[in-house]
Amino acid sequence: MNISDTETNHRFDHNLSLIYLDHNATTPVHPEVLEKIPLWAQYWGNPSSIHKVSREPKSILRETRKSLAELLGVHPLELIFTSGGSESNNTAIKGMFHKSNKRNHYLVSSIEHPSVLKTFEYLKTLGAEVDYIPVNQEGVFDLEFVKHKISNRTAMVSCMLANNETGVISPLSEISKLAHSVGAYVHSDCVQALGKIPIHLEELGIDMASFSAHKFYSLKGTGVLYHKRGVPFQNLIHGGGQERSRRSGTENILSIASLGYMVSKKDQVLEKNIKVKNLRDDMEREIISSISDVRIIGLTQNRLPNTSSLFIDGVDGETLLMNLDMHGICVSTGAACSSGSQEPSPVLRAMGYSRQEAQSSLRLSLGWLNNESQIEYFLETLKKVVLRIRSIKEVTL
Amino acid sequence: MTTYQPQTFQLNKTPTDDTKRKSKGRVLVAMSGGVDSSVAAALLWEQGYDVVGITMQVWDYTQCEIEEGAGTCCSSIDVDDARSVAERMGFPFYVMNCEAKFKAQVIDPFLDAYLQGKTPLPCVNCNTYLKFDHLVQKMYELDCDYLATGHYAQIVKNQNDISQIVISEDDWKDQTYFLFTLKPEILSRVLFPIGHLKKPQVREIAETRGLLNARKKDSTGICFVGDGKYAEFVEQHVSSDLLKPGVIKKYPTGEIVGEHRGIHHFTIGQRKGLGLTKTEPNPQFVIKIDAVTNTVWVGEEEHLFYRSTQIQKSNWFDHIQPEEILNVKVRYMHKGSPARIQKNEDGTAHIEFLEPVRAITPGQAAVVYRGQQLLGGGWIRS
Repeated sequence: MNISDTETNHRFDHNLSLIYLDHNATTPVHPEVLEKIPLWAQYWGNPSSIHKVSREPKSILRETRKSLAELLGVHPLELIFTSGGSESNNTAIKGMFHKSNKRNHYLVSSIEHPSVLKTFEYLKTLGAEVDYIPVNQEGVFDLEFVKHKISNRTAMVSCMLANNETGVISPLSEISKLAHSVGAYVHSDCVQALGKIPIHLEELGIDMASFSAHKFYSLKGTGVLYHKRGVPFQNLIHGGGQERSRRSGTENILSIASLGYMVSKKDQVLEKNIKVKNLRDDMEREIISSISDVRIIGLTQNRLPNTSSLFIDGVDGETLLMNLDMHGICVSTGAACSSGSQEPSPVLRAMGYSRQEAQSSLRLSLGWLNNESQIEYFLETLKKVVLRIRSIKEVTL
Repeated sequence: MTTYQPQTFQLNKTPTDDTKRKSKGRVLVAMSGGVDSSVAAALLWEQGYDVVGITMQVWDYTQCEIEEGAGTCCSSIDVDDARSVAERMGFPFYVMNCEAKFKAQVIDPFLDAYLQGKTPLPCVNCNTYLKFDHLVQKMYELDCDYLATGHYAQIVKNQNDISQIVISEDDWKDQTYFLFTLKPEILSRVLFPIGHLKKPQVREIAETRGLLNARKKDSTGICFVGDGKYAEFVEQHVSSDLLKPGVIKKYPTGEIVGEHRGIHHFTIGQRKGLGLTKTEPNPQFVIKIDAVTNTVWVGEEEHLFYRSTQIQKSNWFDHIQPEEILNVKVRYMHKGSPARIQKNEDGTAHIEFLEPVRAITPGQAAVVYRGQQLLGGGWIRS
């Protein structure tokens, strides 16, 4: 696969081809998925029907569930299709709250996605007791805090497998040991990890996990919730009883088919991610050696192979993003926000960085379609823009 | 007599061929989503400037009661309108979060002014600290040559090639009153692309270009306060122990003629809604608001007239002769009164009017004109 596959689809103004370095926000649809869409669109039947037009849709559901279960090392019936990562997180957390008798305490990492943090904020209004696990500036969890706070009143610990902004991977097996020792369950938002690192849910001791198709080169509109047998559960959406009554609503066959297709390519994943990691590491080395006063967050930690989160002192991240965009380069500062404007990254603020530091942050997240020449062009542009912005600061202030 | 070379922004009858256009420079255009700034951006684009559109998100409309798009600016519907103009023309567009800056530089001083018995003028602070300070910085950072806004004002060069602000062709819409704090040195970088047009022409341009918002209502009043409910806004945003009831006294006798629910309900010259308990033979007006004693003074209309006033934190674009008779506006809708100005070293100035002027209000600005030229101005002191 080569970037020219996507060039015609993503032509940018001013005849620049697009350089997409924001794969943690969403991934481009894989070119082979794009080719298959017209075929899958013909399987328009309702998978719940009994007649023959339901056969293909049923088979798509079954095959995707099976191959994803195999990838995650779980039983296919432990996977529930949802509308996305946010719904998976909401279902897991609210369901636990409704069904956990007597236990009313929750431990949540302070750098979770808003669909986890805001759900717990909501449950607090209903009486849940929530403690937030501190994370230091390198992205390392305060396990002492967990040991201190966890008790036989704790219903669940919720902790993401890999952080969307820094890419730092959480010590989940240690956390789940602590949780299970007091009879608490573990939920993990694994949205950023799928397709980037191997995920062994059993080994990690995860009882519920959330996934999203569109972070893995598939179509938007599908999420997955892993729900281990025996773990308290309450469905969020009531209705026709799809997904063994755990999630009603007609399934998004097109998107589920695309996820299934990507999962079937799992043998290529490792190789592609090694390439991405090399590209990322080379890029970081070059940034550090050619631009002064740059810090990479979690550099010494176990990180996703594609993510790089940096502070560039004296440069406003928002302005930098706009400048790079006008050169056809897509990056982000903090998490993407629906209004198009944003407050400085809550994740970095929770890690103990100042508002000013958070404002000078830049997140680069690479993907399978990136290549050396793109990164070279990006680095060249970044250097130019950073130098220019820094020189302005000196003149006007 | 000074001669001006007006900056003109002619309309292209035929759309330019984007692939062949030669850029006249890159302009950062402040776009609110309203008709004026949309047309400003469209005109610059048609004349061959490279346009970068920007909307400052200054207020979280999800957290307030104001109906979106109800003649206020920068709500998410307005952001979408601005974005659609940019998409139609094909230039880059961004939203920049300025909520914290807006709160510190515009909202907080606005609330403070009411607590001090003044009547604030938040649009000037927004121009001073956001549009013509923050965005000037962003103009440089985004590698732009100019900053443009949809203000009804014009910039022209005098015979010494120095840029000056003059009033808009549409003297009814003229907004130069709100621009007196601009730093003279940035004027050569500022463009007002619709200042030579009248409002109906601006609407017509929007309509012929198919800009979605051609028929949109004008924004009126203060963008973050719905429907002129200033007192309500103050009550929602300051702690209630700062808003104490007090007495209304008659000027000059000091007789108590009523009670009030907080001085933030009043402005100088106000006649309606005073809630006096005692019937007076003549109409009563607010003469003075004393924040220290929490007293509102009312009296006959004659006490509203003053021959002079003091201004502070003044800003000037050109020289003034002490004997020169100039036109001074003491509020936005004031047509102006002739006066002489005595400038002081410390940024204060004394304004001596030829005839008494009604309701000179602390917190508002006195803005000085020589004919059509904006000379500068300052804040009216208590």
